[in-house]
Amino acid sequence: MSKLLDKPFKVFTFYAFIVLLCSIPVYYLIIDFIWLKELDEHNHMVSQATQRNLKDLHINTNQLRESMVLWNKLHPETRIEETTAVSPDSTYNIYRQNRYTTSKGLDRFQGLVSTFTIGDKVYKITVETNVEETHETMLAITLVTVLFFIILLVGFVLLNKRIAAKLWRPFYQSLQKIKAFDLNSGTNLEFERSDIQEFEEMNNSISKLIDCNIAVYKQQKEFTENAAHELQTPLAVVQSKLDLMEQEENISPRQSVIINDMHKALSRVSRINKNLLLLAKIENRQFHDKETIVLADALNEVLELVADFAAGQELEILKTLDTTQTIEGNRILIEIMLTNLLMNAIRHNAGKSMIHVQVLKGQLQISNSGTQSLIKDKLFKRFSTASAYTPGSGLGLAIVREICNRYGWRISYDFSADRHIFTIDFGS
Amino acid sequence: MKILIIEDEVELAESIATYLTDENYRCEFAMDYQQALQKTEFHQYDCILLDLMLPGGDGMKILEKLKAENKADGLIIISAKNSLDDKIKGLQIGADDYLAKPFHLQELAARIYSVIRRRHFTNSNIIEEHELKIDLLAKTVYAKEEVVPLTKKELNLLLYFISNKNRVVSKNALAEHLSGDLADMMDNHDFIYAHIKNLKRKLTEADCGNYLKTVYGTGYKWEG
Repeated sequence: MSKLLDKPFKVFTFYAFIVLLCSIPVYYLIIDFIWLKELDEHNHMVSQATQRNLKDLHINTNQLRESMVLWNKLHPETRIEETTAVSPDSTYNIYRQNRYTTSKGLDRFQGLVSTFTIGDKVYKITVETNVEETHETMLAITLVTVLFFIILLVGFVLLNKRIAAKLWRPFYQSLQKIKAFDLNSGTNLEFERSDIQEFEEMNNSISKLIDCNIAVYKQQKEFTENAAHELQTPLAVVQSKLDLMEQEENISPRQSVIINDMHKALSRVSRINKNLLLLAKIENRQFHDKETIVLADALNEVLELVADFAAGQELEILKTLDTTQTIEGNRILIEIMLTNLLMNAIRHNAGKSMIHVQVLKGQLQISNSGTQSLIKDKLFKRFSTASAYTPGSGLGLAIVREICNRYGWRISYDFSADRHIFTIDFGS
Repeated sequence: MKILIIEDEVELAESIATYLTDENYRCEFAMDYQQALQKTEFHQYDCILLDLMLPGGDGMKILEKLKAENKADGLIIISAKNSLDDKIKGLQIGADDYLAKPFHLQELAARIYSVIRRRHFTNSNIIEEHELKIDLLAKTVYAKEEVVPLTKKELNLLLYFISNKNRVVSKNALAEHLSGDLADMMDNHDFIYAHIKNLKRKLTEADCGNYLKTVYGTGYKWEG
């Protein structure tokens, strides 16, 4: 993932690179064209002046011939020779060895050849001027371009930083606030006012969204509480009436069995109700206090509570506890999770046997005896009682999974060697 | 002993009153916030049962008012909310106990009994029952001056029976009393038998009369 500002930066840099790259040959062509044109003009002027001066001398052919020899010796870049016929001016461009500084290698020359007549003789004059070599020009232009590219790049980086710091500041501030937002707190975010329309619109939209969420969250919480009140109170009435009925004199054995059965059913209803509310509360992100808990200690506490039930079923509990393993979470939720898992192990087992509770590095494993594997897909779903025996509330494991989900732990179930094995991975 | 039941659910209030009314407890009712304020202002109670969600106002306010006026009444919150925040808040303000609905009447009776005993006796708190003497502070039971070696749970059960004297206590209520929320996860409450068997045996060994009777099919009853 790249950052927002890096994207245009990369594109701009690439674009500048292409433009500057294309500019190198264009600069060269223009400079070379101007250069050669000026030199042609210069050569032409030298040639014309020489021709006129020679004509103005009015000397005879022999004298002229001697002067030409002398001229050719003194002026290395011009040459006057006799020729046979008059021809139009022509230019040429050659690379050749410099006669004086040979170490420099080949030099480039622009030359002009014109013919003129003095008396009845035809003469040819060649004027040459040294021009900058192509590769040298190219090199110079390339170096300058690279220099400018580097300046642009540095400029882009600095500007980008400045823009990020100034222009995008409200955006990053809003982002920070949204990240830190906690629905549980119930207060909306206060964004700083921005003079940029888009940011202001974004902040307003987010505020609206959060307001809506908070309202829904509150409603849900209220519903949870109301549902509790509405259901618990009639349940309490029925419970109390049953308790009163028990007190009646002359209850027949048959009636007392019926009362007992009603008690059982009633306690199951209230358990389901309690568990549903608990699930709703966990989903509503209540229980948000967190602390670091030594898993072995929490387990020992819960084991003490459930010891009676285990003893009642003649179950042995074997503990292998790594006392250094700690987990972070809400104490109540963790106790509920451990209780549900242990009670599950106590309830669903194949007769007098052993429950093994293990705390390993980053892992909790609880296993108990069983006869056949449970249906893995259904196990953690609500009201999908996975076994036909001993009807539970159908919510115990759903609650365990909900708690695991909340803290990013992974719960898994396995059946091997006639044992049900529940494992919670606490991750790193 | 005077008890005020502040509860808007008439049926529940009546059940509680019916269960508690005997020679020791006299119950009065308040059905809403206003009534509750009036009653608590003009009368003194040994124990007040307070439902937090009342028509006309928040039950917590009544508690705050009582504590602000330094009234000595014992107070038990009976709430349908079962929210930890409420429980902590209630106990911090000064409630003596918190009981979540639904509850067994036997459980309520045991809590009331405990609150009243705590309020009336500060230095020594001894219950005398037949030939038994229970020192609540030392958590020791004597039968004819001899110590009866009861475990914590057995003592707990004994007190529970005594506070529900002459009442039938169901196995269900016992299980919930002993292990709270855990009880309703188990359909098998056999573990209670073991504790009761031990309690009975120890009492018999201490030469104490057999007051704990089994009521066929239903539960147990302490005869006093």
